Amino acid sequence: MKMRGVLVLGTVVAACLLLLTVQTRGHSTPTAEALAFITTPIQSGLAKMNRAAVNVWSTYLDWKNVRAENRRLREENQQLRVESLQVTETAMENQRLRRLLALQQRLPLATLSAEIIAREWGGWVRSLTVNRGRGDNVARLTAVISPEGLIGRVMEVRSGTSVIQVLTDPASTVGAHVVRTRTAGIVEGEPRGTMRLKYMAREGGGIQVGDLVVTSGAGGVFPRGIPIGRVRAIDDRGSALFHYAVLAPVVDFARVDEVLLLTGDTRHDVAAAFPRDGGG
Amino acid sequence: MKTLFVLTVFGGGLVHATLAPALRIADVAPDIPLIVVILLALRRGPEFGCVAGFVAGLLQDVAAGGLIGVQALTKSLVGFGLGAAGGRLRVTQPLVQVPGLVLLTVAEGVVRFTLLQLFRFPAPFGELMTFVVLPQALYNGFLGAALVFALAWTDALKERAT
Repeated sequence: MKMRGVLVLGTVVAACLLLLTVQTRGHSTPTAEALAFITTPIQSGLAKMNRAAVNVWSTYLDWKNVRAENRRLREENQQLRVESLQVTETAMENQRLRRLLALQQRLPLATLSAEIIAREWGGWVRSLTVNRGRGDNVARLTAVISPEGLIGRVMEVRSGTSVIQVLTDPASTVGAHVVRTRTAGIVEGEPRGTMRLKYMAREGGGIQVGDLVVTSGAGGVFPRGIPIGRVRAIDDRGSALFHYAVLAPVVDFARVDEVLLLTGDTRHDVAAAFPRDGGG
Repeated sequence: MKTLFVLTVFGGGLVHATLAPALRIADVAPDIPLIVVILLALRRGPEFGCVAGFVAGLLQDVAAGGLIGVQALTKSLVGFGLGAAGGRLRVTQPLVQVPGLVLLTVAEGVVRFTLLQLFRFPAPFGELMTFVVLPQALYNGFLGAALVFALAWTDALKERAT
């Protein structure tokens, strides 16, 4: 074993020295070429494997980077979307509040602004809950409006909240008249969420689709001239005493977020406070 | 045995060509073939270490484009020497591995420099040692120790499995 080891070492050292000697004697080129002839294929193979490994590695890194970047961009995109929504929401809220403020300033009545905090939208009851209550001196039957028109009246006052009966509630009735013909009637809510104007046929001649219906001021609950809805269809019942007109509300009750509670004297005509196309 | 030899030596060459540039720290790259030769010599004895050192060194010489046979000679000497002394060393201890690899790299560097002096190698010894051999020796020490540790761990796992 030892002899064999020494023999191997001797051979290797001798080979190395021979190589070095040959090179120092000026035969470096042929020696290198001869060795290169043997080693070049090996080196080429190694280089190919190296390139392949590097390619695989860089592809993996690229993939990893793209994946990480993709994830980062997704998160950023999501965050920007949320921010964009927040900005849009704020802008819309700002716009709504400006309109509400403008209406508040135009109205010759004492008002109290409120925010809707809950909605009851089943067929039996249609109501909104606002964040104003007994502490804000809200009284029962207080009229509630938005910049577009009438919403309803306060039916229940609690310590910090009030429940508003919406015009489309089946139990809601409001004295109204058609602006163009002065035809008087009662606006009633219907279980399917619509409203109808019940009027005497004899006086109702000439009501047309598109006519604006506003509060009449009768009864003292609602000021006169608040837009309620527009005539969408007329139900002509021939010789019946009452006829009905189906109304499309001027207020989208499902989308309203801020309202005004009319807390002062309601014996005023407020038609001028609403837009001309809405207020007639 | 032959397969292991080919795989290890050429694998070492491949790793050296592939990973050494990536493993460079402050322009110091480890001499991976030397580490492979040392590990082979420790495990397989002086003859194996000697031949592995010769082949690995020769490949490096040809690849480097300098005098062919210098690294072949130094690495075969290291392989043989360590293979012969391996039985008397407690190479599983990290406290032996790191300084051992550092010393072997330095020894290889000194032998290489001495050999190159015969061929009028111009670089000064001090600079060569300070900026090339010693940093590489330290790097080899830690990298080699990590490899030894990994191999010992693999062996332990194998034993546990059997």
